[in-house]
Amino acid sequence: MSRDLTLVWLAEAAVFTLVVAGILAERPWALGATGAAIVAAGALVRFVPRLGTTLAGAFARRRPAALGAGVVLALALPLALRSSPYWTFVATLALLYVTIGQGLNLQIGTAGVINLAGAAFAGLGGYSVGLLTVAAGWPSWLAVLVGPWVAVAVGTILFVPILKTRGHYLALVTIAFVFIFNILMNNLEFTGGPQGIKNIPTLRLLGHAFTTKPVLAGVELPSHANFYYAALVMAGLTTWVLRRLHDSWLGLALNTLRDDEIAARCCGVSITRGKLLAFSIGNFFIGLGGAFYAVMVGFVSPPDFDFGYSLVMLSVIIIGGVDSIPGVVLGACLLVPLPERFRFLHEYRLLLYGVVIVVMLLYRPQGLWPAQVRRYR
Amino acid sequence: MSVSPSLVEVAGLTVRFGGLVALDGVDVVVAEGETTFFNALTGLLVPAAGEIVFLGRRLAGLEAHVIARLGIARTFQASRLCLALSVFDNILIGMHAGRRTGVVDFVVRRGRFLGEMRTAIERVSHLLALFNGDLPRRGFERVGQLPQIDRRRVEICRALAAEPKLLLLDEPSAGMNPEETAELMRDLQIVREEMPGLSVVIIEHDMFVIEGVSQRVVAFNYGRKIAEGSFAEIAGHEEVREAYLGKETARA
Repeated sequence: MSRDLTLVWLAEAAVFTLVVAGILAERPWALGATGAAIVAAGALVRFVPRLGTTLAGAFARRRPAALGAGVVLALALPLALRSSPYWTFVATLALLYVTIGQGLNLQIGTAGVINLAGAAFAGLGGYSVGLLTVAAGWPSWLAVLVGPWVAVAVGTILFVPILKTRGHYLALVTIAFVFIFNILMNNLEFTGGPQGIKNIPTLRLLGHAFTTKPVLAGVELPSHANFYYAALVMAGLTTWVLRRLHDSWLGLALNTLRDDEIAARCCGVSITRGKLLAFSIGNFFIGLGGAFYAVMVGFVSPPDFDFGYSLVMLSVIIIGGVDSIPGVVLGACLLVPLPERFRFLHEYRLLLYGVVIVVMLLYRPQGLWPAQVRRYR
Repeated sequence: MSVSPSLVEVAGLTVRFGGLVALDGVDVVVAEGETTFFNALTGLLVPAAGEIVFLGRRLAGLEAHVIARLGIARTFQASRLCLALSVFDNILIGMHAGRRTGVVDFVVRRGRFLGEMRTAIERVSHLLALFNGDLPRRGFERVGQLPQIDRRRVEICRALAAEPKLLLLDEPSAGMNPEETAELMRDLQIVREEMPGLSVVIIEHDMFVIEGVSQRVVAFNYGRKIAEGSFAEIAGHEEVREAYLGKETARA
């Protein structure tokens, strides 16, 4: 076993241990020790340049091994968190934000289409699942697959004003759409008004209902672990697809459209086609996240999809790195659990996200994991 | 470098900016109001009157990306590169219209897409090496890290990558010092030798460049064509001398 491999696995094991300890530590001394360890590890990598470059090199040379170990650790997380069903739920939520964030990043990061209606498109996916299962009697899995297409379809209607506006005005159009969506959901009869839609049936896989507790390697896990693994597959597939789309003619054309529309047009890139593709593909994954959320919690109501959640989605992208696929994963995994850990912050969630956006835009606008140049490998 | 009459014909083209006539009654092509002329030709502006015919096809009313795909490529007076993207990416976008792979290849049949990309990057490297042998090695660096002269080369490569039939260069020497201008002229000679079938139209105010690279010159004043011919003919033309050097009021 080479030195690189040892280094990669050791680093990943250390991060995993710190994350689990950071989540589960309850007693003040344990919490303090974990916090100190996280700060120390961060400072070590940041201020010992040789360590940083050695690690980066090892990860670059051992990508498949690093990814493989990452998958194993992600699979093992519910085992480590089995004493706390609540944290399995939070981890699942983070994975939903990975899915949603990747979709939104294609629009905002790659194509420069500032969509602040992420909550509404997630809501379209969620409400579609609610209506298709409760009102129309469809099986949940089918509803989850169809729900995102509703988000795509409504998105194409909104596309006309989106194509005609740029920058701030485009952002305003999409903000207006979130509020229209919320007012409609609150007032329409068939969406259940402020009560929303309750009793959405859960997912079933080969007769196994997702509400029953799974047993993994002889250990009983909380029932949310079912959703965790499903969300892990969904987030993994989404990230895989979006990475390949980003490193392709499509990603290149969208980046060029974002940076210089005139240059792009004179190179034969159709603005309408490019933006429509980015907007629709993005809305599909945002809607997919919302649809999954609906079957996971079993109900949808207007406050689940209000404007604040659009800002959460936006901060995931900004903190991770605009147009950066791994950045979105990092952003979601940091930003979603953090306010849950510090309960006293919970009331001020939105304030926290606001502060995060301002601080990042001022001091590190490229994000924690900045976008790299395309290598086509 | 000339425009053969059959390639592009322009008649009575008028572009109006709220009453201001920017280009008036141009018959054949091309130096004030010339950028407007390029913009009308590439579909960035819609002419209020007149006709542009390219390879027998009317261009008026066509969208810019459609015109680009017909075989007209251009550079801009102020550089229009995506500084955050790599050198290769900035040129590859020129080949976007000729791509053979689609979304399915990007995601599941990845090998096809990567194969196409390898060939494309080889071609881009070849184009870059024509101008500066050091550039292909820097292909994966962000274009913002290159000096001005190399950025202009990247822009020319992007236009060439599209394999156009007509290449429009809008004041390529803008913002360059004399040494850079000399390098640019050498670059333009290379383009001419490498792509003999390509027609190139250049907007230029630097007489040194015009003399060095042109076969036929068209002089404009206030958007109206005032003279046409070889550089020597144009340089001797009275109206041109008046327009560009001012009226001679007294002789010493």
